[in-house]
Amino acid sequence: MSTPAIHVHSLAKVFGGLAAVDDVSLEVAAGERRVLIGPNGAGKTTLFHCITGTLSPTRGTVSLFGRDVTRDPEHRRTGLGMGRTFQITNVFGDLTLLENMVLAIVGADRRKWVLHRGVDAFPDVKRQAEDGLAAVGLTGRAALPVRLVSYGERRQLELALALGTRPKVLFLDEPCAGLSPSERPRIAKMIAGLPRDITVVMIEHDMDVALGLADRVTVLHMGRVILEGSPDEVRSNAQVRDVYFGHG
Amino acid sequence: MTPARIAFALVALAVALAVPFFAGQFWTGLLTQMLIFGLLALSVDLLLGHAGLFSLTHASFFAVSAYTVAILQVRYGVPAALAAPAGILAGTLLGALFGLSVRTRGVYFILITIAMGYVVWGVAVRWSGFTGGDNGVTNVPFPSIGGVGITSHTQYYYLVLAVIVACGILYRVLARSPFGLALRGIKGSETRMKSLGYKTGLHLYAAFVLSAAIASLAGVLYVYYNRFVNPVASSFPISVEAALMAIVGGTGTIVGPFIGAGVVLGLRNWVSSFFEMHHAIMGAVFIATVLWAPDGLVGLAGRLRARLFKKNPLE
Repeated sequence: MSTPAIHVHSLAKVFGGLAAVDDVSLEVAAGERRVLIGPNGAGKTTLFHCITGTLSPTRGTVSLFGRDVTRDPEHRRTGLGMGRTFQITNVFGDLTLLENMVLAIVGADRRKWVLHRGVDAFPDVKRQAEDGLAAVGLTGRAALPVRLVSYGERRQLELALALGTRPKVLFLDEPCAGLSPSERPRIAKMIAGLPRDITVVMIEHDMDVALGLADRVTVLHMGRVILEGSPDEVRSNAQVRDVYFGHG
Repeated sequence: MTPARIAFALVALAVALAVPFFAGQFWTGLLTQMLIFGLLALSVDLLLGHAGLFSLTHASFFAVSAYTVAILQVRYGVPAALAAPAGILAGTLLGALFGLSVRTRGVYFILITIAMGYVVWGVAVRWSGFTGGDNGVTNVPFPSIGGVGITSHTQYYYLVLAVIVACGILYRVLARSPFGLALRGIKGSETRMKSLGYKTGLHLYAAFVLSAAIASLAGVLYVYYNRFVNPVASSFPISVEAALMAIVGGTGTIVGPFIGAGVVLGLRNWVSSFFEMHHAIMGAVFIATVLWAPDGLVGLAGRLRARLFKKNPLE
């Protein structure tokens, strides 16, 4: 079997007396679309934070294509090929959409240290930034400051920023959060259209979006994995229905 | 730059060049001070307006640089060509040490910078054998390099003006560079910057040291203008004033700190001529700024212009 893109081994994160993530193990194959589901407080976002390096786990290890990254800080994991979006939109409100993208593109290389030449001196960066915006349907918005664009467009930018670092593994934390039912299919379509050389791990509450995109689904409850399987298996599992969809 | 801005810059430069011819020594002196303190405010604003760090220790770099120049020139007869770079180096090295404070954020960063500023002030006051104590170091000569020297305050004004224009141009390049953009990104969202691959602490540290270097340059210009230096240069009120100049003028801009310096120094000169409690007036001005023009005079001017011409950025 080939090396998994992501291998999480017995990972735990304890806050005070609460184990938000409790002994979670997870393997995601290269190119796979994996969706994490589970009720509020299941530990999905905490698990994400531990994998991408925002938080350091209390126990356990995280490997990226066989390389142990448990002790690597967040920025280095990004350099190694992890990219992520945030559940609560986390973009640069005072900057233009183009400047947002430029930050994502030079973040991965040494040009972020250049201080004797303007951003304008790198036409290829500008072109990549414009392409990145176009890829999420933000053509023609490049020059606008983020605070003047709609919430939906900010969610699109959120995705564009994560893609701007050219990740091998993309972590999407509720990419459709806060969007109206009519806006969701747009984002879902963008995610579905991502090339298969990007592995995608996604947290999603919208069941239609989640089960429509997933190759495999991991169900978390109270910090533990209670089931892993295909969308059909998850849909028909009685325990999942109990904890996630409620009794009834 | 838009043609209007280039025209504005050229007119401002022409006026600045002409000032000594029509304005007399008092105004030329005030303008020199405005440029020097404007540069100090600009150094504070590199952190405040771009990176979002509020430093209250910049008088330290300003003073250490000024003291270094004064002591080398007056006691050891070192020429200006060596003393001035030594001053900038000394202030920058102190910045490399104090810059470790970027490990903290928010109110802790402010508090730690205040504490560091008091350490330097305490040394300046108490180590009188070296610093001259309250009297400081006096009789600093005008700078001269290789026989060509400054002999009057008017000549010195032009030297300062040339340095400031050069700094303004370099600062503009810096602000528009990927590095400058990264600082504004960190100010906007440090968590996002980390996830985009930035070692944000290192970016902030580099900005801090650079900012200390600019403050040190201001210190060199100050000591040659003042011709002496005493512990006042290192004191907490200088750090506060530099930050307030940046805020009053407009943070995150280049002209803002200089306009702020002009307002603060001009008001102090004017008000103190007829009103003893001029500090109270200054306080009122700062409160008014924070309430009605939180983005400073430059921001206020921009908003007024937008209202006048009804410019909608979405159109």
